[in-house]
Amino acid sequence: MSKSEEIREKIMNIAKKNPKGISAKDITSAIPEISSAVLVTAINELLQQELFDLFSQGDSYVYRLKTTTSKQAVKGADNEEKVVYNLIDEAGNKGIWIRDIRIRSNLQNTQLTKVLKNLESKKVIKAVKCVNASKKKVYMLYNLEPDRSITGGAWYQDQDFESEFVDILNVQCLRFLHQRADKMKNNPRGPIVGRTQSYATAAEVQKYITDLGISKVQLDVEDVITILNTLVYDGKAESTVYPDGSKVYRAIESLIPPPGLVQIPCGVCPLIHKCCSTGLVTPQDCKYMNEWLE
Amino acid sequence: MSHQLGRVVSVILHRYFGEIVQQVGNDLFMYGSKPIGLIVKTTGLPRVKVIESLRTLLKFDLASFEPSTNEVIADYKLLPENVLLFIRYPRYLLQMKSKYGSAAELIVEELLQTANSTATVLLITVANKYKGDKDKNIELKILKDTFISLATAGYIQQAPVAVLKEGSELPTLEHVATIVPDLDLRTLQQAMTMNLNDIKDNVYWKVNYDRFHQDFRDEVMIKAVSRRIDENAGELMRHLLQQMYLASAAWAPESNPTPALELRDACRRGAAERPLLHQYVDQYLKVLEENGGGFVKRIGDASGGQYVVRAKHAAEQLVHTVLDHTVIERLGSKAARIFRLIRDKKYIEEDDIQKNAMLVNKECKELTYKLLEEHFISLQPMRKAASAGGLVKAVYLYHIKLNDVANTAQEMCYRSLHNIIKRGEHERKLHARLLDKQRRVRSIVHGMRMRGEPQQNIDDVEETLTPPELAVLQGVEKRLKQLSTAELELDRNLFLLKWYFMYPH
Repeated sequence: MSKSEEIREKIMNIAKKNPKGISAKDITSAIPEISSAVLVTAINELLQQELFDLFSQGDSYVYRLKTTTSKQAVKGADNEEKVVYNLIDEAGNKGIWIRDIRIRSNLQNTQLTKVLKNLESKKVIKAVKCVNASKKKVYMLYNLEPDRSITGGAWYQDQDFESEFVDILNVQCLRFLHQRADKMKNNPRGPIVGRTQSYATAAEVQKYITDLGISKVQLDVEDVITILNTLVYDGKAESTVYPDGSKVYRAIESLIPPPGLVQIPCGVCPLIHKCCSTGLVTPQDCKYMNEWLE
Repeated sequence: MSHQLGRVVSVILHRYFGEIVQQVGNDLFMYGSKPIGLIVKTTGLPRVKVIESLRTLLKFDLASFEPSTNEVIADYKLLPENVLLFIRYPRYLLQMKSKYGSAAELIVEELLQTANSTATVLLITVANKYKGDKDKNIELKILKDTFISLATAGYIQQAPVAVLKEGSELPTLEHVATIVPDLDLRTLQQAMTMNLNDIKDNVYWKVNYDRFHQDFRDEVMIKAVSRRIDENAGELMRHLLQQMYLASAAWAPESNPTPALELRDACRRGAAERPLLHQYVDQYLKVLEENGGGFVKRIGDASGGQYVVRAKHAAEQLVHTVLDHTVIERLGSKAARIFRLIRDKKYIEEDDIQKNAMLVNKECKELTYKLLEEHFISLQPMRKAASAGGLVKAVYLYHIKLNDVANTAQEMCYRSLHNIIKRGEHERKLHARLLDKQRRVRSIVHGMRMRGEPQQNIDDVEETLTPPELAVLQGVEKRLKQLSTAELELDRNLFLLKWYFMYPH
């Protein structure tokens, strides 16, 4: 082993101990015998081998050991590609927006698109459409599963919200809660026992839904909770929290039957604000009222 | 005091009192309060007619008067809220019938028709009216007893007395405390034979609407609790309300605390009918507090727990339910989901609505804007203080102003009520000839039956109504019945809203 190799090995060891990066001072304090000229050549070699990343921190430079995986993935790539690749890698499964890549890599727009295209064709990265903003594309490594905030979770199929699916689940959850709700009424063991029996936890509902087999995708408890919450907003269920912190749901009836206003055509009439004593829309020749009275 | 209210009041006055009173009523509604002279001028009616109309209005408590600026003449003012009560009359009668039997119903009916009357005249008129009616079995004694129990329960009260104060030319109406009368059966029987004008009784009575409204309110609350939990909880709510009347003002936003001990006593008395309630009173109280829509709240632990009835909160809850139903029917259940979501979160941004409501973005936006357009929700822009950058982003928060929305709903009720009444009038006008004919045939047949004429002749008369005519009449009757049911239902709806508006917000 030559002397320069020995020094490089030493520097590598120091860097491995400090994953946050090391400065030239750290090296000199660890290897006091090293001269600055030797250190500079050693570091230059290491940088050339792409074992280190170089960062500037205040006045001094900080060297950080690169992770081995990222090094392997882009064999035969030029410098720009590597920079872009690293940025995308850092973003993980949340992905990174093209504008952010441009700002952080300092690359020209045209050059960047070229690089991205290259990487994409090599199947190293992929572009994923974001559900929140249909035109926003984010890039992430090819082998990663996009995050929930990007795909929208179980409710999205190719960036489209599946409202029918949600509706079906909504109905099924309600049916499950209804099966239990009657236990509250006149329960011979007292109302509190009855109430407990009429409650269902989200996990129970999830099990019921899974057993039904209506969903192709696997639904988490979290997903079922979102569905159950829509039931609460529909006024068909109420929720409470158990002492252990889990949420429970119960089907309820509305406090009053449909009031008088909506039992007559006027309550649901789209023209109610245009209805007058004279003119084209009058109660005397109202078509809706005619139908209702027949 | 809205335009829609004016329209409803106008058609109701027309239906019950005819065109002249309607004109005077309209005039008063439009101008607030004014003296007779001005009413004559603007309506163009003869002075005598105006005075007569005002007399009717005052008698039925549909108008009030107060001294004008010069203290010599009176200014008259319409009380539109009282006019609306006409729609509620059938409900009052039903309430009486189910609670006190048909004698009470007849008394209240007569009293409602005459607006006010002395006890003697009232009872004698009712007794005379149904003297020959054997099905109802109305005796003077039953009538007298019912009258006294009604007065004790507060369903009827003494009418205010006109008092002429010193230094004033105009009398003022002063409310007097109701003293339950001690009616003598023998004097009543004697009075039966006398002329009504000779009867010396100067204590006048009238119906106490407020007492009825308390009953209606209780009924609504009990029913709501029964729907939410079960009948036993409803029964417990009834006990709570009864206790509330003992200690608090009837319409108090929050009642004085009721100790659970007394409730337990009440449940023990009803143990035979509701064993479950008796067995699990404490549990029911807990469930009622936690799941009963917040009608009841526990506020202390003294004497086994102290409970209050939160009438104001209950009214709010019920108005919310009314609005929910209205939104469901008008814009669909998805809009209702958004509506309730906004209520739940109090203030919410558009993006958050989409996330929580689980709807397609486009649909969600559309429904939100529809709700905004129909005034069910409001928008509150929150502008950040001018920042250095040119881009000042504003946050738009959706929220519900319950008072405003309830007002919108009330306006819709007024409008619908007006439409229903107007439509009923229209139906009657269209078939006026037939209805008139039917009435005549019926009275002729009735007369013939009384005289005992042969069946052959009666049939002949009845056959003047041809089968097609009968079919039309049947249709009209069915429609009119449907319309009057709708009126009653609308009134129930209005009752909830009025109850809500009773408390300051």
